[in-house]
Amino acid sequence: MSLGLYFMRVKCLLRNMEGIFWCYIFPIILSTCLYLGVSKLGAVEEFETIKIAYVVGEAQTELSKEAGTAVSQEQAELSHEVGTAVGHNELLSVMKAAKLSEDKYMFDITLCSSKEAVDLLEKGDIEAYIIGGDRPELFIKENGLNETIVKSFVDSYMQKQITIKNILVSNPEALNNGLIDDLIGQTDFVDISDKHKKPDNIIIYFYAILAYTCIFASNWGLEEVINIEADQSMRGARISASPVSKMRLFACNMLASYTCHIISVILLFLYMKFVLNVKFGDELAYLIAICLAGSLTGLLMGASIGFWIKKKPAIKEAIIIAFSLGCSFLSGMMAVEIKYYVTEKFPLLAYINPVNLITDAMYSLYYFDGHNRYFINLMLLMLMAAVFTVASYFGIRRRNHDSI
Amino acid sequence: MLVNVKGLVKRYDKLVALDYLDLQVEEGEIFGLLGPNGSGKTTAINCILSLIRYDKGSIEIFGKPMKPNAYDIKRNIGIIMQNVAVFEELTVYENIYYFCSLYIKDKIEVKRLTREAIEFVSMEDYADFYPKKLSGGLLRRLNIACGIAHKPKLIILDEPTVAVDPQSRNKILEGIKKLNAEGATIIYTSHYMEEVEQICSKIAIIDKGRVIVQGTKEELKAMISLGEKITMELYELPEKNINELKEFPGIYSVEYHENLLEIKSAKGRNNLIHILDYMAKNNIIFGKVYTELPTLNDVFLEITGKELRD
Repeated sequence: MSLGLYFMRVKCLLRNMEGIFWCYIFPIILSTCLYLGVSKLGAVEEFETIKIAYVVGEAQTELSKEAGTAVSQEQAELSHEVGTAVGHNELLSVMKAAKLSEDKYMFDITLCSSKEAVDLLEKGDIEAYIIGGDRPELFIKENGLNETIVKSFVDSYMQKQITIKNILVSNPEALNNGLIDDLIGQTDFVDISDKHKKPDNIIIYFYAILAYTCIFASNWGLEEVINIEADQSMRGARISASPVSKMRLFACNMLASYTCHIISVILLFLYMKFVLNVKFGDELAYLIAICLAGSLTGLLMGASIGFWIKKKPAIKEAIIIAFSLGCSFLSGMMAVEIKYYVTEKFPLLAYINPVNLITDAMYSLYYFDGHNRYFINLMLLMLMAAVFTVASYFGIRRRNHDSI
Repeated sequence: MLVNVKGLVKRYDKLVALDYLDLQVEEGEIFGLLGPNGSGKTTAINCILSLIRYDKGSIEIFGKPMKPNAYDIKRNIGIIMQNVAVFEELTVYENIYYFCSLYIKDKIEVKRLTREAIEFVSMEDYADFYPKKLSGGLLRRLNIACGIAHKPKLIILDEPTVAVDPQSRNKILEGIKKLNAEGATIIYTSHYMEEVEQICSKIAIIDKGRVIVQGTKEELKAMISLGEKITMELYELPEKNINELKEFPGIYSVEYHENLLEIKSAKGRNNLIHILDYMAKNNIIFGKVYTELPTLNDVFLEITGKELRD
């Protein structure tokens, strides 16, 4: 009989289009929107090879005049700053050799006459051109990232060239002491965080959506109470008048709700992981475990509210929606800074917020090596579930009502 | 006695919903609980089913005290609520099956009873329909099927025909009589006196949470002085004639309003022939003439001084 009641309830839940939309479809839409809207914020800008032209062996003064007619006076002045300091066409060979990565050159250089260079710049085919010689000059059309890179490169080259020349004149012995290597060499400092992961605020939004979906189970918990309590619905009255134990029926219905709800959470998780390619890390079993605990807590919380708040079903539903959204907001679903603020300023609030416990547990799995923080969150969540179980138990023990 | 309610008191704060209510329902009866809206009918049913707490009194069903966990009693009760109580997500068949399975463990038996219930309410063509696709009348029939599928000994129907079209209403009333003929005892609450009069073998009229009279419809009508009500269409009737009519033996009320003459006479007196004779002798031209025996509304009116539908 219990199995029959369970399957019938599963059938009911899966045919409830409103419930399915909010629990199955809405989180997927929300996570897709999030993915489309903010995931680009975290992406690293990839540098492309910069197209430039290089003019070799022409008289500088004449060329400068020609170039001046093609580019703005302001830009010509800017480039003149560099041009006055630049030396021979050695710059060309250095620029040719410069690489962004192993198989990607920094500059795509076209050798041409000054006239062609001006034309190319005007058409936008190149970002800048350099007139080589004793005093190389740089000409650009606009101020942008690529133009800045070219200018920085030329500046850096010239500065090092002048430094080396000065050293050669004043202290040639220094060359034997590795000074040249020090000048040419470059050291990068990269911050490697725990577990080799970069801090990624975007993933917290995905955690918050998962956690919100878990806590959304509270709506289903409430629905189960409405369905069996005589003072909440006519169905409840009919069921209360039947010879089936309310406790048993409630257990069957809650189990059915839990089954259907956890499927929605797992589907969302799979969608995020395999369709949106959200990097959840390696400890997926732990992640699913916290989802299971979160869903259970949500379900029992909804049931407790259903049993103990003496209001009409519509008011209870509104309370649950407001509570779920409030908890999600405080755990960073809208702005991750709020999560940090609450955790720092109101730690107790963070510890009693089930959505925050879920997101924090997921967060700790992603960022930290140990599981202490994860288990603290899990235990707190289970403690809440236990409290709500007791509340639901005493709620259902009430045999009848003052009015219906 | 199948149902024995004694001295039932239910208060909602200062409002007394049931005021020492007494009801006795014998096995095999169709017991009508008749009263205006707000008289306490539904509250009484909810107390009988142990759905709500009551302040005083006792309720026995099948000779045992009724309690919320009296599952052996509940197993033999069918309940049809005032509002439709089914699952929107389940088809007609599944709804009946589900509610029947709350009472019966054997799956094969549940299936058989479900089929029978569908046949009983003539919904064979709608078995796979979802409730939202059904008309109001069909929904009521589904509601009834869900309540009676497990073949209960006692069926409680709380205003099952509210907002139902005449055709469905007749089907429902015929169904109730059929259920009774098959051995079920029925408690039927309504504020439609015609329905109660039509199907109930025993009637309790309830007002302000208290049974004011109880008995068969004949017994109830015998309790009041009205025996016959004669109504005549008249275009003109001088005051002199009205006064002369009032002098007729057995006639205690003569009223003339908007071309209608209404004469009420005591029971046991056939005054129609004398009145017609009087009209003929006085050359009073009249149109339609009809006589009515007292209704339950007249009973309620005479006892409480107000209409049943107030």
